[in-house]
Amino acid sequence: MRSQKKVSLLRVGTVLLALLLLLAGMSLVSMAVGSAGYSVPEILRALFSAEKSPVKTIVVNLRLPRISLAILIGASLAAAGALLQSVMRNPLADPGTIGVSAGAGTAATTILLLFPHLTSSVPLFAFGGAALACVLIYMMAWKEGVDPTRIILSGVAINSVLGAYNSLLQLLNSDSLEGVLAFMNGSLSGRSWYQVRLLSVYASIGLILAFLCIKSANALQLGDEMAKSLGVKVSGSRVLLSGVAAFLAASTVSVAGMIGFVGLVVPHIARLLVGSDYKAMLPTSVVLGALVLLAADTLGRTVVPGMEIPVGIVMAVCGGPFFLYLLRKKGKASGN
Amino acid sequence: MEINAQGLEIGYGEFVAVEGMDITVKKGEITTIIGPNGSGKSTVLKALTRLLKYRKGAVYLDSRDLASFGSRELARRVGVLPQRHSAPPDFKVKDLVGYGRMPYQKWYSKHNEEDKKVIEWALKATGTWELRDKSINECSGGESQRVWIATVLTQQPEILFLDEPTTYLDISHQLETMRLVRKLNRESGIGVVMVLHDLSQALEVSDRIVVIKGGRKYSEGTPDEVITSRMMREVYGVDCDILRIPGRRAPLIAYREIS
Repeated sequence: MRSQKKVSLLRVGTVLLALLLLLAGMSLVSMAVGSAGYSVPEILRALFSAEKSPVKTIVVNLRLPRISLAILIGASLAAAGALLQSVMRNPLADPGTIGVSAGAGTAATTILLLFPHLTSSVPLFAFGGAALACVLIYMMAWKEGVDPTRIILSGVAINSVLGAYNSLLQLLNSDSLEGVLAFMNGSLSGRSWYQVRLLSVYASIGLILAFLCIKSANALQLGDEMAKSLGVKVSGSRVLLSGVAAFLAASTVSVAGMIGFVGLVVPHIARLLVGSDYKAMLPTSVVLGALVLLAADTLGRTVVPGMEIPVGIVMAVCGGPFFLYLLRKKGKASGN
Repeated sequence: MEINAQGLEIGYGEFVAVEGMDITVKKGEITTIIGPNGSGKSTVLKALTRLLKYRKGAVYLDSRDLASFGSRELARRVGVLPQRHSAPPDFKVKDLVGYGRMPYQKWYSKHNEEDKKVIEWALKATGTWELRDKSINECSGGESQRVWIATVLTQQPEILFLDEPTTYLDISHQLETMRLVRKLNRESGIGVVMVLHDLSQALEVSDRIVVIKGGRKYSEGTPDEVITSRMMREVYGVDCDILRIPGRRAPLIAYREIS
């Protein structure tokens, strides 16, 4: 028993360590590449010396905040997706399911197109819109408790109504869509330490809460009746876990706009790497989410010289096919 | 310990699933609930364990209202294995069985010595000790049913509720499960309440049988009192003879031949 336990702990430890090393490596790469390229020794010298230099200015003021944001956002979105997949007992759940994206999108579109003088408050409104849409979906789904199928279905309904409203608003204002498009496709360009400080507070609170939810997330995987008979308050746990997930996702949306697929794909990869136990799966998702989003953003700002591809688009383009690949591979493994 | 329900009515909207139900189940006894499909057997079982709300009547655990129990407090006294349950296929047997300790733990705590002892006892009592390092999807149907029973046993309940524990199992695994239930009851005095479809098995393992027809109690008593050809005709609409064979404790049910 002892030795078996050590083996699985060792495996999780190895995976986490490898991911952390990759994340460190990716951060260095991301500091080095860009419109001005530097070598790693150059960067390290600039970072740890007191003198001012152009290298230091670019790395510290432009690239580091962006890297930090990518890490925080990736980690938060992956944790949110992992929690929601347990809440819904459905592998297709992600922050979009509970209306976070549609709610934030609606709020942001409304402000950007109808009240442009409030543009600087878009993050606040996006956060509020996300929270509101999420609450609305849960209210619609509530009937002596929350049932995952009802959450998903009322999510579909509310998402489609909000989506229609967004499209209409965009049609009517088709000449001033630049800001809206940037928001809808999630971008990290032009972000500064201010946003990093803001998000690091939200993300730390959200991630700590997420880690406190591990036991409930595991228990929900055993089925509602089983969880209930083990003394778990099933509906209460569902609402709590969804709340934490919504908070995490909404904070990222308010800073960087909508970035899809991280919350959906990353928990799946983590599950393949370390299994379904949230004690291992959640930390793995968090680190992997950070790594994936940082890689996507780095790719997006370097693949076409002189042009930035928003990280949301890179994630969707790379995430979709990768997800299909996973589905097919997984189907084979379980003999389907 | 006993759980006692009086005048239960359970339903959804217009539909009444169970009405006027009085039932008592006790520690130390094996009580089996039988009846045709849709007669309300599982519904009664769920109401007795607070998995389902009832509209009228009352349920008491040792004369204290079941509704007044905290969810963890109740989970320490009553264990339920629902008909439908699932675990991620890669969960290890010993980890799954460990979830039975949740009612005894705070949300942050790990297994202490007591928990580990109980888990080991439950694994050994159900003959799943050898499987402890396997994952759920490596277990056969019968094995995984024993693992789930071990999970519920780890709650150290005084009464164990099993909703159709043998459905979906082949005959050897059905008998294996019945033997296990009987052994647990005889050796540790745990009460067992089951919903069963197989009447021969009900005859063999039960101390008491409750027959439900159309949401009402038809009869209850010892297996010999309850399983009669008249009951079979009136409740199931089936003709049969109840045969006694010398050397066999429980009688056999011989259904009329299919012509």
